[in-house]
Amino acid sequence: MKEEHRLLIALQDLDIMIKEAKDTSTSKELESMGFKLTGLNELQEARKKLASKIPPALLQRYEKLAKHYRMGILPVTGDLCLGCFVKLPTSFFSAAHSHELLVCENCGRMLYIP
Amino acid sequence: MEANELVSFFEEDLCLFHLRSRKKTSALQEMVRHLALARRISDERFIMEMLKNRESLGSTGLGNGVAFPHGKSLAIKRLTVLFAKSSSGVDFDSLDGKPTRIFFLILAPSDRGAETYLSLLSNLIGIVQNQSLLKKLHDVKDFPSLIEILGGIES
Ligand SMILES: [Zn+2]
Repeated sequence: MKEEHRLLIALQDLDIMIKEAKDTSTSKELESMGFKLTGLNELQEARKKLASKIPPALLQRYEKLAKHYRMGILPVTGDLCLGCFVKLPTSFFSAAHSHELLVCENCGRMLYIP
Repeated sequence: MEANELVSFFEEDLCLFHLRSRKKTSALQEMVRHLALARRISDERFIMEMLKNRESLGSTGLGNGVAFPHGKSLAIKRLTVLFAKSSSGVDFDSLDGKPTRIFFLILAPSDRGAETYLSLLSNLIGIVQNQSLLKKLHDVKDFPSLIEILGGIES
């Protein structure tokens, strides 16, 4: 996998974590269990640092997708794109593509086979 | 969450009764490496990065010798739970400053809501808040006894 793709996937994991930490119902629930969520600033700093390592065009494409849809990169679990529910070509599942960042030709979302 | 459902998330090959690491990052790495060897994850690096970020949000070492490292990643196929025990204790920045001996590592896929893993977390926390169950957990040595404790089965 290309390093920039690896960074982008790590960025989305981080974005989801930041979103949950900011989401009052999730964070209240975690706090009620005893977790102290005091490091949001650290996460935002880590996000900035990570984003600065990603080529701008790729980052922009991800941010546009993430803003428009719920997630910029979707996991592939069956043979459909879970964004637009169109069947993915069999070439997607060849060994050469396993664990690579792929793009749905129908809706343009980025896809990853975990 | 019913006891049966809670127990169903635990798998014998995802239980480590002799964690060797003594430091936070190496303990996380040892658990994540085990998940990779057991073929539950294909890329350790994504999981490690996510878990380290989660710890910088706030330690998941809640005290009383128990920690719940957790989070979501695109590199996770389905909700996965790993149980680990350390007899020497790990310096995990726990809230009470004491070494951590029991770990429940919970990993969830990023395209699902937080409900299932939050409910799993809160059920496990409920168990460790029970002093007699917590003591049993500190003494647990094998999978069948772990399932007995988590399933609330009297032994
Ligand atoms: Zn699509």
